[in-house]
Amino acid sequence: MAVIIEVLGWGGKSRHHYRVEGSSISIGRGYQNDVVLSDSHISANHLRLDAVEGGWQLTDLDSLNGVEIIKNPSINSVSADSTSSEIVLADGAEIKIGRTRLRIIADSHPVDAAKELHRLEKDVGQLNRFSIWLPLLLLVLIVDITALYANSFVEWQWKNALSSILFTQVFLLMLALFWGAVGRFLREEANFLGHYNLILLAALVYSASDWFFGVIGYNLSAEFLIVAVAPLLNLMLVAVLLAANFALATSMLARQRWITSVGFVLLLLIVSVANQMQQWGEFSPYPEYFSALELPALQIGGGESVDEFILSLDDLFTEADQLAVKK
Amino acid sequence: MAIDKNTGRAIKFLLGLLVCWHIGVYSQTESAQTLFAENKAAILQIQVIDVTSGSKSVIGSGFVVNAEGLIATNYHVIQLAASKPEQYRIEYLTAADKTGDLQLLDVDVINDLALVSASDLGAQPLSLAVTEPPIGVPVFALGNPLDLGLTVVPGTYNGINQTSYHPRVHFTGSLNSGMSGGPTLSEAGQVIGINVSTAGNQVSFLVPVTALHKLIAEYQGRAAAVGGMTQRIGQQLFDDQQEKFSRMLALDWTTMPLGQAQVIDELKPFVKCWGGSNSSSEKAQFLSADRTCRSEDNIYLHGKFNSGIIEYQFFWLEADKLNAPQFYAYYQRLFTDFVPGNKADEKDVGDFNCDDQFVIADSVENQRKTKAVFCVRAYKDYPQLYDVLFLQGTVDDSRAAFLSHFTLAGVSQNNARAFVRKFMGVAKWP
Repeated sequence: MAVIIEVLGWGGKSRHHYRVEGSSISIGRGYQNDVVLSDSHISANHLRLDAVEGGWQLTDLDSLNGVEIIKNPSINSVSADSTSSEIVLADGAEIKIGRTRLRIIADSHPVDAAKELHRLEKDVGQLNRFSIWLPLLLLVLIVDITALYANSFVEWQWKNALSSILFTQVFLLMLALFWGAVGRFLREEANFLGHYNLILLAALVYSASDWFFGVIGYNLSAEFLIVAVAPLLNLMLVAVLLAANFALATSMLARQRWITSVGFVLLLLIVSVANQMQQWGEFSPYPEYFSALELPALQIGGGESVDEFILSLDDLFTEADQLAVKK
Repeated sequence: MAIDKNTGRAIKFLLGLLVCWHIGVYSQTESAQTLFAENKAAILQIQVIDVTSGSKSVIGSGFVVNAEGLIATNYHVIQLAASKPEQYRIEYLTAADKTGDLQLLDVDVINDLALVSASDLGAQPLSLAVTEPPIGVPVFALGNPLDLGLTVVPGTYNGINQTSYHPRVHFTGSLNSGMSGGPTLSEAGQVIGINVSTAGNQVSFLVPVTALHKLIAEYQGRAAAVGGMTQRIGQQLFDDQQEKFSRMLALDWTTMPLGQAQVIDELKPFVKCWGGSNSSSEKAQFLSADRTCRSEDNIYLHGKFNSGIIEYQFFWLEADKLNAPQFYAYYQRLFTDFVPGNKADEKDVGDFNCDDQFVIADSVENQRKTKAVFCVRAYKDYPQLYDVLFLQGTVDDSRAAFLSHFTLAGVSQNNARAFVRKFMGVAKWP
């Protein structure tokens, strides 16, 4: 029966492992050991593991820094005799010697089922391409500049436009770099362009939905579409983007990805609601009316007659009376 | 010290001027002296005392108007005591340093007047003029400016101001705070007005004595102090707007052009109009011309609440160098910024309630599509009175726009509705 000694890294992930045959395994910094570790806090002959019934008996060979048991799945089955300095480690136990964490596993230990690749990961080769990034970036820049130009009613100045565009684009770039770094760290592949393309795509969808809801809200005289529905949908867009970034950068399962992304967005929502909560029910001496205007070409439908408009005012007076009731 | 020839000549000239001026005002000075000496016993400092701290919160002036000890002052002087009688009381202080309590009897918020009485004063009352003096005669304002003691300010009577709906006497002379509620006397010693406000630089305003005659008559006709001051004020506000709007709505509203639109001309004596444009600006990317009409009347209710204001405004916009989206971006910015013309506080009014609709005028010559916004807030203490804000902008032309707006403060629902109807019918871009 072989024993697997895994050297663990950040987050308990296996960095590399040793496979040792035999019933007695020695671990230490000395080259005569079965498992040779270079950690300078480990003694030359640090410990020995002997195969026994239900695991491996741990013997500390008078090491300088000792052995710390981090996890031992069958600790309860082992007699907790305080006089005994010898402990039996079960399959899957984790110990720490020096600064090194080790996991001791039998080679019959089951492994997790393989995770299905996300669609995005399967297509990542396609998404992570310069030929997608360049047109996307150009499209985003065009949309950005057009929006700025269409909203500028003072003399057009490129420096003002550039400063605004640079600000947004550098932010998006930093976001992509962040995800690239996360991916590089967790999965040893940055997928930088993939992340960047996802972010640019989300920016485009955001611009489109913003415009779309502006036009629809204006035509229906429905301010809530602009102040409530559109922001909520944008938060959902953020959740989708985050889930996609997670899929590219981490090995999280779909459920974990969605819980994390939606949880993050909910936090954002809570923070922004908490921020506005102070103003709820506060008196304002200024009217809050829906002031959106859109180009004549973007208007569908007709309007009320003057008589209908004036008739509709009576309800406003009744409601105003209710708003003015002294508490 | 040697004075050179030119300087010496200049000084002689200046001295000459001063002497001439001195002779000119000699008779005025004499009148002022006599008036002051003869009438000072009837002119009081009015103090509003905070009951908790025992100190004066507001000072003003007042004067005795009849033998029963009836005293006139401004509403804005005693307003705190009128709205919070449990927290404030009113006292008088005579020129001879005698003090005593005053009882609030009646108010006229429209003309900023109040009647109070003292049981123990026993001063000779001032007589109230019954005829208006001719323009240009010297008159004398009396009062307690800045708590400096009783003071007389000579000035000139300049007639009833014709440009405000509620008549005010234009007094050329310096009124200062603390003189509010004091009398302005003719040379004959008759009260021709009650000091009320100043626009600075010797431009001051008095409430005509006719308003005081009317208030005294009303009070004496009732022969008892008014029970609910809030109810009385509410009734005065309601009656005033009722009369004002029935007169204004009965007028034939003449129009004048603004761009391609026609806008409402000055509705005299309710508003005064001003206008401007950006046509002289070299950096302007679009054309904007505006006309703003506003009433000068401002009914003071308390420091954070006034009413009675009528305001209407028109904008004519042309895209000029801007393209259509840019023009609409500016237009929307302009459309966002409208606020009511009067001040109001949470304890006085509810929140504004607004609605917006697309409205198409259905007359033959005007079928433009517009976006119309109407906002209304109700008064909490004065039922059936509202502040309304109306905004209407054309939305069917991508190169030009006509925007009209009005706010009415302290108006009834019926009057507001009638005003909207007439306004929408007259101000338009055919």
